[in-house]
Amino acid sequence: MVQDLSTISATIDGESHVIESGDTLLKFVDRHRGRGHVPTLCDAPQLAPYGACRVCSVEVALQPDGPRRVVAACHTPLAAGMHIFTESAKVQKLRRNIVELVLTDHPLDCLTCEVNGNCELQTVAAKVGIRGVRYPAGANHLDRAKDQSHPYMTSDLSKCINCSRCVRACDEIQGQFVLSMHGRGFNARIIKGLDTSFEKSPCVSCGACAQACPTSAISDVFQSKSIEASRKTRTVCTYCGVGCNLNVATKGNEILSIQAPLDSEVNHAHTCLKGRYAFKFVKHRDRLRSPLVRVNGRLQPATWEEAYAHIVENLTRIKADHGGHAVAGISSARCTNEENYLMQKFIRVGFGTNNIDACARVCHSPTAWGMQKAFGTGAATNSVEDLQYTNCIMVIGANPTEGHPVTGSKIKQRALKGVPLIIIDPREIELVPFATHHLQLRPGTNVALLDMLAYYIWEAGLTDQEFITKRCENWAEFEAGLKSLDLDALERIHGVPREKVKAAAIEYASAENAMAFHGLGVTEHSHGSKTVMTIANLAMMTGNIGRPGVGVNPLRGQNNVQGAADMGCQPHQGAGYLQVNDPSNHLLYEQFYGAHISNEIGLKIPQMYEAALAGHLKAMWIVGEDVVQTDPNTEHVKAAISSLEFLVVQELFMTPTAEYADVVLPASSFLEKSGTFTNGERRVQRVNAVIAPLAGTKPDGQILCEIMQRMGLSQPDYTPEGVLAEIARIVPFFKGATWDGLTEQGTQWPIQEGGIGTEILHIDAFKRGLGKFHFFPFQESKEIEKHHQEFPFILTTGRILEHYNCGTMTRRTGNAQIVTEDLLAIHPQDAAMKNIEDQDQVRIFSARGEVRMKARLSTEVQPGILYTTFHFPENLVNVVTSSECDEDTLCPEYKVVAVDIEKVHAPDATTIPALTH
Amino acid sequence: MMIPPALEAKADEYIGHYPPDRKRSAVLPLLHLLQHEFRFISDEAVEWVAQKLGIAKIDVLGVVTFYPGFRQTAPGKYHVRVCRTLSCAMAGSHQLMESLCAEADIDRSHADHHHPIAVSADGTFSIEFAECLASCGSGPVCMVEDDFYEKVDPTVEGARSLLNSYRHR
Ligand code: SF4
Ligand code: SF4
Ligand code: SF4
Ligand code: FES
Ligand code: FES
Repeated sequence: MVQDLSTISATIDGESHVIESGDTLLKFVDRHRGRGHVPTLCDAPQLAPYGACRVCSVEVALQPDGPRRVVAACHTPLAAGMHIFTESAKVQKLRRNIVELVLTDHPLDCLTCEVNGNCELQTVAAKVGIRGVRYPAGANHLDRAKDQSHPYMTSDLSKCINCSRCVRACDEIQGQFVLSMHGRGFNARIIKGLDTSFEKSPCVSCGACAQACPTSAISDVFQSKSIEASRKTRTVCTYCGVGCNLNVATKGNEILSIQAPLDSEVNHAHTCLKGRYAFKFVKHRDRLRSPLVRVNGRLQPATWEEAYAHIVENLTRIKADHGGHAVAGISSARCTNEENYLMQKFIRVGFGTNNIDACARVCHSPTAWGMQKAFGTGAATNSVEDLQYTNCIMVIGANPTEGHPVTGSKIKQRALKGVPLIIIDPREIELVPFATHHLQLRPGTNVALLDMLAYYIWEAGLTDQEFITKRCENWAEFEAGLKSLDLDALERIHGVPREKVKAAAIEYASAENAMAFHGLGVTEHSHGSKTVMTIANLAMMTGNIGRPGVGVNPLRGQNNVQGAADMGCQPHQGAGYLQVNDPSNHLLYEQFYGAHISNEIGLKIPQMYEAALAGHLKAMWIVGEDVVQTDPNTEHVKAAISSLEFLVVQELFMTPTAEYADVVLPASSFLEKSGTFTNGERRVQRVNAVIAPLAGTKPDGQILCEIMQRMGLSQPDYTPEGVLAEIARIVPFFKGATWDGLTEQGTQWPIQEGGIGTEILHIDAFKRGLGKFHFFPFQESKEIEKHHQEFPFILTTGRILEHYNCGTMTRRTGNAQIVTEDLLAIHPQDAAMKNIEDQDQVRIFSARGEVRMKARLSTEVQPGILYTTFHFPENLVNVVTSSECDEDTLCPEYKVVAVDIEKVHAPDATTIPALTH
Repeated sequence: MMIPPALEAKADEYIGHYPPDRKRSAVLPLLHLLQHEFRFISDEAVEWVAQKLGIAKIDVLGVVTFYPGFRQTAPGKYHVRVCRTLSCAMAGSHQLMESLCAEADIDRSHADHHHPIAVSADGTFSIEFAECLASCGSGPVCMVEDDFYEKVDPTVEGARSLLNSYRHR
């Protein structure tokens, strides 16, 4: 039978094309005639159709010669059999009139406008054939003042055409609701906040509105839409594990601005302010520009060859005198896969030791460990994209709107669309008002709460028995554990009323597809790995594994935490997670590298410090990590690294850690080098050098190759393609990875031959065969057991949107103007008890030391709980944090510290602010 | 801003008229309640409504500014609205406005779209133009608070006798 074409097609100016489901007239015409064939003003590909400006008017008829009607193409759904006329005299005249009217209230100073040449209004005016404006000058908004209050966002609303694209970008993409239309009719105008400036509004400077605005009415200080750039390079953001794609505009060797590619699968025209605006550190005057070598106790500038010679001499001597195990390396989750791979190769092959670790130790090592135990793979089971398919989102110990802003926005958008959201967090984080359930537990009691959740799922009979029997093991033991739980005791421990826990349990377990996300609030605890396995239990017992919209998804902190572990920067596993003490793996590594490789598990970062203090470890090589500021118990770390005979640090800036080094090597930043990053959803993405390395610096990969060559290892010169090819030969799940094959969008591992990626893990079977249930009863943290009597408050730490870790980079950008200090959040009740008022200086003391900072009264924490960030090292909050660690991975317990507080009385009475009542 | 319990109860009742996932639909009734109680919609009132309905403050403000019936600044003790739509305009509403201002000691020279309300020096009266008050055959028409006046004498004398009935309350 011949199919009647009219049931699946429509015509554009007489030519027939097949329609697709979800087509609007505009999408259909764009696809077949190209974007811009029908002019548009209020429509933007990253936003939902709106239909405000009518510039996209077309005529539609249901018969080729039937009566025609004028409709706005952008928001009119397409139906089979429609005949669309895009260029009739009638619509052309209509469009011209509309644009002419728009121009009556728009300044005609294009030549001096920052977006001249890249203005959609200009393009559309030219397209519809405007020659001049026939109307006499009338009332207008040309006198609206410019807003230059903000370090990044700017506005000149005299140029506004009231298309509402900015409002929709802020609502639909970021979910911040900063912008709106004020008034109506001719008086309608865009406002920020409750009619204030960008600076005073709740804007988080994501830049989505500026990117969406068709004119220069909303823009940014970098004038990102101007056409000054001579080149655009696509690369990947280095500030978090979301892995946003960036389009970087450059002129010569200068970075002008950054925009988000519209077609990026990871971030669809969105970024946070770190990715888009925090790039000025690149040419900051504090950048290291020459190697430094310690001579007579002082670090002095040296040439690269002098520095290398000094390193080779010392490392060779130490290896000869004390053996390779006297050397250890710390790699960086900020660096590329290639660099991490080279770093572990350098340590393992160069010194015959497995003393190699990375900063993942202090964040997500429990995730890798726990998920390997349960599933066989220590990585996110699904993609962030899956948020579209899920029916329930559970966020545990993560604050995605601050830590993983683009993912946070996506979660918020889903919640706004009615997808139930469960938040398990001691604090009332930004997502809480959008959530269906908030289980506000005491810090350090994750296991107690998650065990109780599992219990209620089991009690309600909502377990997926078929999945459990076919796909998992150890259920009986786990079930026995659940039966043995003492619910009264658990409720007392975590402090959340049991009905709330039960309601959340039922929500999660009865959703068709439920997706769990977790962050450092899960891992940075003494029972971090166990908590990860407990989350895995929940997913397995409800069968939420192996299809779109489910799974266990760690939100990776640093941009390449995933990659650092994948590449083998772990003391127990080499490249590709092969256990180093397994004889067959050991043989494989020795053959592959043609060298003696150790088969003993090496030192984890905290053990390195112990070994240094004990005198066994003589030399360390640290890539891009400021351990003095970011590792817990600062004094201990300082003592350890100062007892070393030899310390090499590779860094962008002089850091407190580098102050202790014998050689400091100036590295290039992510904008100056090429390689790959693997984001939190296992997506291996190409990082492309945007500008040449700053004079005097070298990319970390090149440094490592050069030192290996000088240490006598056979190592070809650095190329990203070359190293990636070597990785593909040894890392099983990179087998099909090639530089070209990764494409613009990146590929999710495991990558099979032919470059085919994997979006969802464990579809038919777990990597380890059967998924394994583990039951753990709750155990109180030793920190609380030992110190709670004396130090009755619990201090927990976190991060904010504007800064990145200790701020080495972000504090050298405009972000520093937005957030200038760490503050201590304290519940008003506690504050009253301690006589503390908002903005008072407070002394925080623990069994280890004390720090001072300003108090911020807030009900985001419960009484008894204190919270602060750690971006401003002058507060050295880590002085007070403990050396307690996750029992399985030695990931430090940053999230639970027993402290006490008191108000600091200013010595000079005049500095005490006058009381207002 | 103190919300009286009775007002809060009334607000909850209005919210209850809508399905739980459409709470935002109660924005207009809530704004009316607040304007009635506090005589205008302050920024705090906007925040309170936003919080109550779980929507963004700016979305509430968008509604407030869309409807001229909502005031964003405090009116006088008695608020006068003079119709200026066509029939009333032809029947003398502009003269009425001038007379009322003169009689009540109101300076309207700064009034514009964004600040439509002018208040008398002593705070007793405030005034603004309104669109059609739905009695077009009997202009000029005005309202003082909720009292309706038709065929008002637009002279200063007319204005005086109208205002006096409030002054002497
Ligand atoms: S920068 Fe982002 S948060 Fe700020 S107004 Fe624009 S879209 Fe909203
Ligand atoms: S500021 Fe830009 S995006 Fe917003 S309404 Fe005006 S022209 Fe449109
Ligand atoms: S969300 Fe993360 S990856 Fe994306 S721009 Fe922000 S910091 Fe960069
Ligand atoms: S682009 Fe279609 S109405 Fe504006
Ligand atoms: S025109 Fe004044 S009441 Fe209608």
